[in-house]
Amino acid sequence: MSRGQEQRRLLPAYLATGTGGAPIGSTIDTLTALRATGIPLAPYHTSVHQRVVELLEGGSLTVMEIAGYLGLPVSVGIVVAEQLVTDGQLKGSAPVADAAEVAANANRPSKEVMEEVLSGLRALLV
Amino acid sequence: MDSEHSWSSPQAGHAGTLSPSAGTGPTGQRPVYLPEGAHRRVKILVAGHLGVGKTTAIRTLSEIPTLHTEEVMTDAAAATDDLSLVGLRNKTTTTVAIDFGRLTLPGDKIVLYLYGTPGQRRFLPLWKGIALGALGALVLVDTRRLDASFEVMDLIEERGLPYAVAVNVFPDSPDYSLEILRAKLDLAPDTPLVQCDARQTNSSLNALIELTAHSIARAGEKTS
Repeated sequence: MSRGQEQRRLLPAYLATGTGGAPIGSTIDTLTALRATGIPLAPYHTSVHQRVVELLEGGSLTVMEIAGYLGLPVSVGIVVAEQLVTDGQLKGSAPVADAAEVAANANRPSKEVMEEVLSGLRALLV
Repeated sequence: MDSEHSWSSPQAGHAGTLSPSAGTGPTGQRPVYLPEGAHRRVKILVAGHLGVGKTTAIRTLSEIPTLHTEEVMTDAAAATDDLSLVGLRNKTTTTVAIDFGRLTLPGDKIVLYLYGTPGQRRFLPLWKGIALGALGALVLVDTRRLDASFEVMDLIEERGLPYAVAVNVFPDSPDYSLEILRAKLDLAPDTPLVQCDARQTNSSLNALIELTAHSIARAGEKTS
C-alpha cells in the first residue's frame, strides 16, 4: 500500500531524529527488540520519537517492524531507537542471547539454534 | 502540533477494525507484538528477481500481515543505471523496498524473520548488512526466466551465505526435471533444489526446512 500524494509526510526522514545523532558504537540491529519503559519523553523529542514510544507501549517489536508500521526508513528507525534507548524511554534486547556464539559461526546462528529452527519448522507442517 | 498533517491517518477506511488508540502509523495496521518470554530472533532471506514470488512466499508463511520498508541508498545506482539523460546525471540515490514477515515457531522460543531481498547487484550495499547474521537464503527461481536468477545466486555465494533453490511453479512454466534445472543453474551438488508453490504453506515450509538442514550441514565451515 503506497502513500497517495496528499498523504505524503511533510516531515522529511532526515529531520525525524531531531538534531541529535546516534551514539557512537551502535548496538541496535534491525532485529533488536524494543519496548517502552514508561519514562516520559523530553521536550526535545520529535513527533517521530513520540510515535515510536506510543507504538511500543503495548508490547515489544523489532526495529524492522517499527519502521514498517510507522513508514520510516530502517536507518531512521535505528537512529531513533538508539536515541530513545540512550534517553531511557525504550529498553532493547539483542536478537540472540549470546553474540559470541553467533560470531563463532561466521556470523550465522549457532548449530543448536538452527537445529531448533529445523524441528520448529517440521512441527508446523500439516 | 502538526503531526496529524505530517502522517496519514491510520483510521481512514478501517474504522471499526482498528484500535483508534496510539500505536498505528501510516500503514494503519494494528501491531502484532512479539512473545513476552525470552526468545531468539533469526533472519532468513527470501531472494530472487522481481516478480518471482518473494512476497507471495513471505505472505504464505508470515503470522503478521506483510510489512514493507523502504531504504534510500546513496550511489548504489551509479554502476548500472543509465545516467546519460541530462538532468538525471546527478542521481546518486535509489530507493530499495523490502517486504518482510514473521513466523513464531511452536514454543515461542524462536521467531523467524523472512526478508524479501531484491536480487540485483546494484543493491549490494543493502546485501552487506542484510546478509549479516542470517541463517541462509531461499532463492526463488522461475523456470521461464532462469537467467534472471544468476545475479542473485552470485551475490549470495560472494557473501558466503548458505542457500537453497526453490523453483516456484507457475501454470505455464516449462516442465524441466530437477536434474536438468540443476545443470542449467550450475548448482553445487549439495545445494538443495526443490519445487515449491509459494502460495502453499507446506510447500513453502518444506523449502525452508531444506534450507535450514543445509545451513546446519555447513555450520562450522569458514566461509565469510
